[in-house]
Amino acid sequence: MEKYLDKGIKAIINQFPKVENILNEYNIGCAPCSIGSCLLKDIIEIHNISPDEEQALMARIAKAIYPDREVRIPKIARKHTAGHKGISYSPPMKELVNEHALIKRLLAMIPEFIDNLDVVSEDGRQTIIDSVDFIRSYADKYHHAKEEEILLKYFDEKLDIIKTIYEDHEIGRAHVRAVLEALDDRDKKTVSEHLNAYRELLTEHTKKEDEILYPWMDRNLSITQIGELFSKFSGKNEEFGDTQKKYEDLIDKLEQKFKLKEALK
Amino acid sequence: MTQLDGCPGSKMVDSRDNESPEETTGKIKSQLKQWPIQMHLISPMAPYFQGADVLLTADCVAYAMGGFHPEYLKGKSIAIACPKLDEGQDVYTEKIKSWLEDAKINTLTVLIMQVPCCMGLLNLAQQAVQSSKRTVPVKSIVVSLQGEILSEEWASQ
Repeated sequence: MEKYLDKGIKAIINQFPKVENILNEYNIGCAPCSIGSCLLKDIIEIHNISPDEEQALMARIAKAIYPDREVRIPKIARKHTAGHKGISYSPPMKELVNEHALIKRLLAMIPEFIDNLDVVSEDGRQTIIDSVDFIRSYADKYHHAKEEEILLKYFDEKLDIIKTIYEDHEIGRAHVRAVLEALDDRDKKTVSEHLNAYRELLTEHTKKEDEILYPWMDRNLSITQIGELFSKFSGKNEEFGDTQKKYEDLIDKLEQKFKLKEALK
Repeated sequence: MTQLDGCPGSKMVDSRDNESPEETTGKIKSQLKQWPIQMHLISPMAPYFQGADVLLTADCVAYAMGGFHPEYLKGKSIAIACPKLDEGQDVYTEKIKSWLEDAKINTLTVLIMQVPCCMGLLNLAQQAVQSSKRTVPVKSIVVSLQGEILSEEWASQ
């Protein structure tokens, strides 16, 4: 069983498909992950599973891998553990979680947006351009920049969980580029497909960060580092000026537009 | 044996019958790197406060916690105060603000005992932070009379 602790989780799932369902029962959704090379032993620590749950989970995974015999269940050494009183973020992580809240408001609008997609009229095209502007300027340049230029630098960038985040960001950027290219061609179908794909990607991505990554980071950052992050984020906020307010207003405007469209139906 | 009446902060507690299974052997190195430490005596402009992670702790905390030096004081600058008995606490607010605005401290950790009167130190720190032009992450830690951590939370900004 020890040899599987150092194996990538996707490889384990490919070899033993039952493991995916077992992980899902513990709210560990490794299947949709874009990389999936997190080692089994790291998943236990990253998801901060309690010792009792760890024992039960590992026993079930062992049964899936070795259905015909009993095996010794190894105990996984952990660097840090947290209590199970719900998630409490440090101030810099809380800032990122709050920015997610604005991004999620756009994601929530995308299905309605796609239903009413208009790639021909000036108003319709402007709505698409506004949404892309939000994604590029707020979600990417402002929010993801804080992550990539500041936060992720505090961790080993070769860690699978970190590589997953970079990978998700790049996939998101590719979808946005595809939306703009399709908009130029007035290709409604392709615009819809990429907007929807972006929505699915970012929904999973923000959930992963809010529930797994940020708490894990908080457990692994010293108080000195948390203070530094807070200060660097404040500097970034000053650099971006009224970005937060500007894009809150844009989201309000888009939400109003879609409420109006819904009312007129 | 405990008294049933009176202020929790001064209520008598006798824990001599509670046997501690752990024994610490060997000398524990002091992590105190400054003087003075009492809040009335410290200067926020002292070099050890510049950009520092500061620990503002109630007087009794270090006596309650066996591992205070290595687990909490190490790497930090400190000031101690008693929110119940200290006089002239207005100057404390000004000193905390000066930490934030002039010394530009990195973080503030407020360590208090579980007794209700100790909450005054956290309230004082939070009021100072809220009225300051600059803010930092503030963490509050509450310690039991037996030296255990009861809570450890980030104060909302």
